[in-house]
Amino acid sequence: MELDRLSIGVFNVRGTFVAVLNVCPHELAPVCLGPVRGTTLASLPGEYCWGREGEILACPWHGWEFDLLTGKALVDPRKHLRRYQVRVREDTVYITIPQGQ
Amino acid sequence: MSTKWAVIDTDIHPRPDPAHVGRFLAEPWRTRYLSGNRGPGYLGYWNPIGVRRSDAVLPDGSHIADSAESLARHFLDVYDIEYGLLNVDDLAIGLSPEGDYAAAVVSAINDVIVHEWLPVDPRLRASLIVSPVDPLLAAREIRRLGHHPGVVQILMPSGARMPYGQRFYHPIYEAAAEYNLPVAIHPGSEGVGIAYPPTPAGYPSTYFEFHTGLVASYIGHLISLVTEGVFVKFPTLKWVIVEGGVSWLPPLLWRFDKNFKALRQTTPWLTRPPSEYVREHVLLTTQPMEEPDNPEHLRQILAMFDAGHMLMFSSDFPHWDGDTPDFAARSLPPALRPRVMSETARELYSLPSSSAADRALDHETSHG
Repeated sequence: MELDRLSIGVFNVRGTFVAVLNVCPHELAPVCLGPVRGTTLASLPGEYCWGREGEILACPWHGWEFDLLTGKALVDPRKHLRRYQVRVREDTVYITIPQGQ
Repeated sequence: MSTKWAVIDTDIHPRPDPAHVGRFLAEPWRTRYLSGNRGPGYLGYWNPIGVRRSDAVLPDGSHIADSAESLARHFLDVYDIEYGLLNVDDLAIGLSPEGDYAAAVVSAINDVIVHEWLPVDPRLRASLIVSPVDPLLAAREIRRLGHHPGVVQILMPSGARMPYGQRFYHPIYEAAAEYNLPVAIHPGSEGVGIAYPPTPAGYPSTYFEFHTGLVASYIGHLISLVTEGVFVKFPTLKWVIVEGGVSWLPPLLWRFDKNFKALRQTTPWLTRPPSEYVREHVLLTTQPMEEPDNPEHLRQILAMFDAGHMLMFSSDFPHWDGDTPDFAARSLPPALRPRVMSETARELYSLPSSSAADRALDHETSHG
């Protein structure tokens, strides 16, 4: 959605609403246009364990994976999405954008 | 978006409509091509994000790189790109064991680009793709279309049956030099068709491994081109290494020059250190820019070779691992930006300088 000249993606992660700025911290791509999916969890060589379905947002440009529940990139927690406070009252989702953004 | 330097993008990937390619094919090739049998295919490595950017799609579902009009409006305009070089990414056909079919298909693809894409926008230029599986047919293709004013380069897959310096390939270079066209190689088809495995160690197990090791083939070709004397035999020939990264080059040249001191007698046509031939004849494109944790380390590497004359900006649009002009420029020391972002490419491809006003006028004219 477009809010106050900001492009913001709102995701429903199994009942938890998350709002993030639609800008990837890497090359400023529209990260929210990427797929929301699960991913392979850390495992031993040769083993594949799929999990966290619906919690991972992958950037459509370079494929960086972000944990929607924390905003952090899976490979480097120093890289993270800009998140906004979300409140749900009855059937309405409210997003708080700090002044000056 | 205004910048202090012009932007010339040396690697954009159009996708010509296969139905249009079919129109330029004669039988017996047309039926085969339109039936979907288009060459040796790929190894099938999987990139979880997809090779073509999924967000570069218009509301009508078409991809921005599917037409020259979309590419001009939604990419060249957006990033204020003065010229964009179209490099068809369907290069694996050039590694088909069926040389006659491969030559027919690349000719038809070139016809679509030259007749249907280049006329759409004056900012577009194109590489002529050739199939190196039969160098005589490749040279014939260069002589068929090499005179076209919009054609500024010859393009081949970096996957190959043997190193590109070998005499087998020289008819291609002879024709390219005749038309004053640089020869470029682009990755992606390593291990496909009759090419050697993607790395000299063998076949990687994942796209991650494959993509990370692509430079192996570039190193092999570069050493071969110099030692086989291609740049002695064709002294005006320029060679462009597209999408191979840059950080591997300086240490390779150190080793190359060191070995030359001891081993030059096996290549007596080389009268100067190998690094000098490379500096004079070889250029690289920026994408994918290496991203060390300490950005200063990349700048140090760029100081270890003549980046001001050897490095050209490329976006690789619309591929997943592309770089925007802003991102690439920020990675470069400020003094290098005008050369790398446009001026080296302008010289190499003889692209006329045009002011922003001229560009706007051209644009109006081309869109009627």
